[in-house]
Amino acid sequence: MQAYAIYALKRLAQFVLVVFIGINLAYLISHATPIDPVEQTVSAATSFGNASPEAILMMRASLRELYGLEGGAVSQYAAFWRRVLVGDFGPSLSAFPTPVSTLIGRALPWTVGLLSVSTCLAFALGNLLGGLAGYFRESRILKLAGIAAMAVHPIPYYIVAFVLLIVFGYLWPVLPISGGYRINTPWGWNAEFVLSVVTHAILPVASLVLVGVGGWFMGMRSLVSNIVSEDYVVYAELAGVSRGRILGAYVMRNALAPQVTGLAMSLGSIFNGAIITEQVFGYPGIGTLLIQAVHAGDYSLVIGIASVSIVAVSVAVLIIDLLYPLLDPRVKVA
Amino acid sequence: MSAPLAKVADAERVLDVANLRAYYQTWHFGVSRDVRAVDGVTLHVDRNEIYGLAGESSCGKSTLIRTIVRAIRPPLAVVEGSVRFDFGGRACDIYALDRARLAGIRWRHLSYILQGSMNVLNPVRRVRESFVDFAFRHIGKPMPQFLALVEDHLARLRLDPAVLGSFPHELSGGMRQRVTIALASVCRPDFIVADEPTTALDVVVQKDVLALLREVQRQIRSSMILVTHDIGVHANATDRLGVMYAGRLIEEGRTGEVIREPRHPYTAQLVTSLPRIGDIEPKQGLDGAPPSLAAPPPGCRFHPRCPLAMEMCRREHPPMVEVAAGHRVACWVKAPPGGMAAP
Repeated sequence: MQAYAIYALKRLAQFVLVVFIGINLAYLISHATPIDPVEQTVSAATSFGNASPEAILMMRASLRELYGLEGGAVSQYAAFWRRVLVGDFGPSLSAFPTPVSTLIGRALPWTVGLLSVSTCLAFALGNLLGGLAGYFRESRILKLAGIAAMAVHPIPYYIVAFVLLIVFGYLWPVLPISGGYRINTPWGWNAEFVLSVVTHAILPVASLVLVGVGGWFMGMRSLVSNIVSEDYVVYAELAGVSRGRILGAYVMRNALAPQVTGLAMSLGSIFNGAIITEQVFGYPGIGTLLIQAVHAGDYSLVIGIASVSIVAVSVAVLIIDLLYPLLDPRVKVA
Repeated sequence: MSAPLAKVADAERVLDVANLRAYYQTWHFGVSRDVRAVDGVTLHVDRNEIYGLAGESSCGKSTLIRTIVRAIRPPLAVVEGSVRFDFGGRACDIYALDRARLAGIRWRHLSYILQGSMNVLNPVRRVRESFVDFAFRHIGKPMPQFLALVEDHLARLRLDPAVLGSFPHELSGGMRQRVTIALASVCRPDFIVADEPTTALDVVVQKDVLALLREVQRQIRSSMILVTHDIGVHANATDRLGVMYAGRLIEEGRTGEVIREPRHPYTAQLVTSLPRIGDIEPKQGLDGAPPSLAAPPPGCRFHPRCPLAMEMCRREHPPMVEVAAGHRVACWVKAPPGGMAAP
C-alpha cells in the first residue's frame, strides 16, 4: 500500500509538470505570433469611420487591460497564471463580452460525451472481439470479423464519416446528419431532448468506433495468440480449468495491461480526431469552437481551449496510470 | 528369479502405455513431413512408484509425457498405440474420454509439474486464486474450508501459508517451484507427471525440491513420472528408470541396476559421463549428434554412433528383451532375443 502511495504521488507530480509545461507552451506560442489582437480589434473598430485619437488610445488601453497585456513580460506572465489558476481566460474576442470559460463550458460536455462514449465503445468492442478471435482461432465468424476490421482500419477517417453520412443521411435518411440535438427542442432531462441528443450522436460515434475498433481488434488478437502459448495458460488448460475462466482471467487479463497502455497513449491524439468529427457532423463541441476561434483570431479562446484539452488529456492519462497497478501487479515494484 | 518376476506382475499398474507412436505431422507446400518424436514406446508405472525418464535433449521424452497426459496440439498427433490409466479400479483410455470426463480427471487424479515452472503461475493472479482455479471444483467444500485445507496442505509440506497472498513474481524461483508442487498435489492425485522439475534451479534448491517431491509422494502415495536428463537426480529420486534415445525406449529397469550395470551402449555412455569424486581423467564425449527424427536411420537408431554396431544393427530395429527381472534392453549385441546376453 505504501509502495502504491509513492507511485501515485510520483504520477501526480508528473501530471502537474506536464500540465504546467503544456499551458506554458500554449501561452508562449500564442504570444509569439506576429498578430497583435489589440491592434486587430482597434483597426477593425476604426475601419468604418473616423474615431478621435483619444478614443483610440483609450480603447487600446482598455483592450490591453482586458487581454492582460499590461506591463512587462514578467508581470504579464504572472497575471496570466493568476487568472488561469482560477479558470479565467479573459473575454472572448469573437463573441465579445462572453468569457472564454463560459464558451468552453458550453462546448466541452458535447466533446467529452462524444469522445468518451466512442473511445470506450471502440476499446471494449475491439478488445473483446480481438480476444475471442485470438483464442477461438478456428471460428469462422470471428475470422470474418477480423477481415472486416482490417478492411475498415486503413480507410481515412473522413471517408468513413462521409460514407456514413451519404448512406444514413441521403440514401436512407433515417438519422440526422448535423448538429448535437434537434433545434428548438427545449433543453433539459426530458425524453424528447435526450432522444434527440442520442440520435444525433449515433453517426459521429459510429464513425469513430468503426475506425477505432480495428486497431484494438488487431492488437488484442496478436497479443492473445502469443499469450495462449504462455506456460501459465498451457498449465491451466492441463489442469482442466474451464475455458471461460482461462479466456477471462488468464488470457485477456494478461493482454489487457499493454492494451491499456495503448489507450493512454492514444488519448493524446483524441482531440485532433474531435476537430474533424465535429466539422464533418456539425457537432457543437470543442473542435468546432477551436476552428471558429482560429479563423476569428480569437487569441484568448485558443489559449483557453488548448489549456483545457491539455488538462483533460492529462487527467485521463493520470486516471489510467493510477489504475494500471491494479491491472498488472508487477508495476508496483518498479 | 521367479519370485521378483511374480511380484512385478502382481503389482497394481496405474499407467499402461502400449506401443505408443506420436508424430509431429506437418504439410508445407505439398511436402508432408513426419517427425517421429515418440516411436513405439511401451511402458507401465505401478502404484506408489516413481518412474524416471532419462535421455538427452530432443530425444522425445517431453513429447512422450505430453502424449501420455493428452496435452497435445496439432501438429503433434497420436498415430498408434494406447495410454490407459487405472485410478483405483476405474480403468480408462485417456484418448477415449470426452472433454467433460477429461476435465473431471485432470488435477483430481492426474496432475503435472511442468518444465519451466517459473512461468506456470498466472502473473496477475495471487497464488491463492491459482489454487482456487485449479482445485476448488474437485474438493467439493465451501470456500473457507477449502482455503483451510490448502493451508493445511502447505503446512504439511513445510511451506509458509503466507505465500497464498503473494503474486508469483514476489517469490523466488525455488519457492515458485515448491508452490507448484504443492499446487499439483493438493487434490492428492493418483498420478503426478513432473517434467524437468529441477532443471532451472541451482544445486542447493534442487536438493530441497527433490526432497519435497519425495515427501509429497510418500505422503499422498501417488505414482509419478519424473523426467530429467540429469542421471544424478534419477539416482536420488526414482525407483525405476527408462532411457530414451531418438524417440524410442532403449533400456528400462530398477534405477540402481540400470546405473550400476547399464546394458545398452548408449546408457553405458550416459552413466560414464557422470563425474565421480576422484576422477582425474578427462571425460570422453560421444561422437556424432543424435539423429534427425524426421529421417531416422534404419535399424537401431543408435548404430551410427555405437562403438559395437554390427551388420544386423544397420538393418533391423532391435526389440526390447528382458535380460533380468524387470530389466529390458533393446540392443542386438547386448540383448539378442532368445539368447544369452553377451558378456
